Amino acid sequence: MIASMTNIVKRYGSNTALDHMNMTIVKGEVLGLLGPNGAGKSTAIRVLTGLTGTDAGEAQLFGKKVKGHALDLKKRIGVVPQDLALYETLPAQDNLAYFGKLYGVTGVALKERVGEVLEILGLAEVAKKAPKKFSGGMKRRLNIGCAVMHKPELLILDEPTVGIDPQSRNHILDFIEEMARQGTTVLYTSHYMEEVARLCSRILIMDGGRVIAEGSVEEITRSVLFEETLALEVKDPSAVLLENIKHIQGVVSCEAAGQKITVVSTAGAANMHRILEVAMPNIILGVTAQRPTLEDAFLALTGKTLRDGGDA
Amino acid sequence: MKFLSTFWMGVKYLWRDPVMVIVSVAFPIVIILVLGTALDSMFDPEFGANFDPPRVAVVADVDNYLSEFLEDDNVRQFLDATFTDRVHAEEMVARGYVNIAIVEQGFGQPIKILLPAQQDDLAAVALAIVDSFQQIGAAATIAAMQGRDFTHLLGVDIEITSQPLGTRIPRAVDYYAITMLVMILLYTGLNGMELFHKGIFSDTGTRMRLCPISKPVLVGGLLGASTFTSFVQGMITFTFTAVVYGVYWGERIPLVILTIFGMVLFSQALCVLLIVIFEKRNVVGGIVQVLFFVTTFVSSGFIPVNFGELNRVFRFAPNALAQTAIFGAVYGGDNASIITSLIVLLGMGGVFAALSFIVGRRRVA
Repeated sequence: MIASMTNIVKRYGSNTALDHMNMTIVKGEVLGLLGPNGAGKSTAIRVLTGLTGTDAGEAQLFGKKVKGHALDLKKRIGVVPQDLALYETLPAQDNLAYFGKLYGVTGVALKERVGEVLEILGLAEVAKKAPKKFSGGMKRRLNIGCAVMHKPELLILDEPTVGIDPQSRNHILDFIEEMARQGTTVLYTSHYMEEVARLCSRILIMDGGRVIAEGSVEEITRSVLFEETLALEVKDPSAVLLENIKHIQGVVSCEAAGQKITVVSTAGAANMHRILEVAMPNIILGVTAQRPTLEDAFLALTGKTLRDGGDA
Repeated sequence: MKFLSTFWMGVKYLWRDPVMVIVSVAFPIVIILVLGTALDSMFDPEFGANFDPPRVAVVADVDNYLSEFLEDDNVRQFLDATFTDRVHAEEMVARGYVNIAIVEQGFGQPIKILLPAQQDDLAAVALAIVDSFQQIGAAATIAAMQGRDFTHLLGVDIEITSQPLGTRIPRAVDYYAITMLVMILLYTGLNGMELFHKGIFSDTGTRMRLCPISKPVLVGGLLGASTFTSFVQGMITFTFTAVVYGVYWGERIPLVILTIFGMVLFSQALCVLLIVIFEKRNVVGGIVQVLFFVTTFVSSGFIPVNFGELNRVFRFAPNALAQTAIFGAVYGGDNASIITSLIVLLGMGGVFAALSFIVGRRRVA
């Protein structure tokens, strides 16, 4: 185990940002931290990295309490903050070199590592240019580069792809996958469900300062009972057909829009064969069984959509 | 290693900011030339010699009694007198605010008359004035009957020093080279403000706190960078004005450079304190714009102004302290007043630095 947070409570005035939060990070995994705005994700990262103290509970990194050992522990982690944190008038290579030196990388190793990171992040051609002239995506990539100059054992990324173009996003995701392949443990927070689903071997869903669900994408979606949806495409659906489907056991609703009929059944109804039997006299053009997604699971668990953090 | 890395990063960061470079280097060089050219006639020695009535600075323990005499309407037709202390009197002569300074040096000591260089013809006027003082002293024996004793003014020697404060009167360009350099040195505090804001209170500052660098090393590196950069910027103005504009910087260059360094330290301490308190760049920028304009004005940085009694207060403005030190170093002021001004300046800077440390510890804890 590389990191742990045990019964962490963190309050800001009357607001409880973390409410007895528990979390562990296992060596070599890519852990996703999901939650709506205000769920406590950033506070959790601040506690884990020693940026802020706690009102109760204990955070540990590499088997040591964060409190009292922050300076030593910081050498072994890399943190990509949510906001761009660069010296924007200094060339990209100077930014990388400076943060590399702060982590103890020097001399030839530093020079090589700067070149390597620039190459991997697709910034080699703009190495001598200042980030203030960069696109948002390029700045984001450099923001990540500054955190990995020392090849950290644990890489923490706080929503690193906010507001960037798809090309840069892919670049960043490829880079993180490569870091993980090389053995770096990753803690990744994002509003983008597909990113978490792509990168993470395990996911924690947070809400109200607590972890409310934990597991792989499959485990989390299975843990929540969903209604099942079947989409039928039928030539000239009649009112009689719709009425017959509605009478099938477990069907909650049946609605038609042109040739498309959407049938919603209760979870575990197992009535697909019966629905098809009823529809069979008509010409069936297509059948789609819609599986619940992580987004659906998140919605079911938190009652909120992920990207805007608002109530669904 | 981390200190040096932070130091050089800070230096490079400041020099790559075009606004900072324009404000700190280009602006003073231009403004000194503009003011030095436009207001040159104000500093013409002939112009100064033709003050009518003569302006006199008086340093004496008998101000209550003398003031009645000097402020009499009949006397004021011939004499425009200001009571002040010795340091300020010397400074007023050096800058051409007054034609004559009359300094009572104490019981049994000669009365000293300070005249601006190249204006020996004022000696007769000065002697007449001192003579009238002595007559007042005689009249004052009557006052002695009321318990006050001014008899020590009777019959003492008179010592006239016609070139007491250096070898020349500053031209406009010399004057503004000093006052504008001092003003810009104050503004270089914005270098410190910028580096501390970026390195501690901005998003980049958050990242810095996530890096394995101790706070003393970080603060030391940032402060070193801003101080070094500001000092270099001041020295560029100093050198440029000397070489290109032919500004007279006197014989005691090390004292001038020491004052430049002292002013840089003061301004860094002040602006760092402001950013530690307010945390927002635009707020500190606004405060600094107003504050430094006012301190420059009350220190006669833009035009020579005599604020009368208020001079006693305004001489503690940072500009005034630095100007006193530099004018003294350039135009022959005594070492004591120069060192005193520097000590007061650095003392205030030290207080600001200590406050920054105390407040900063809470803010970035």
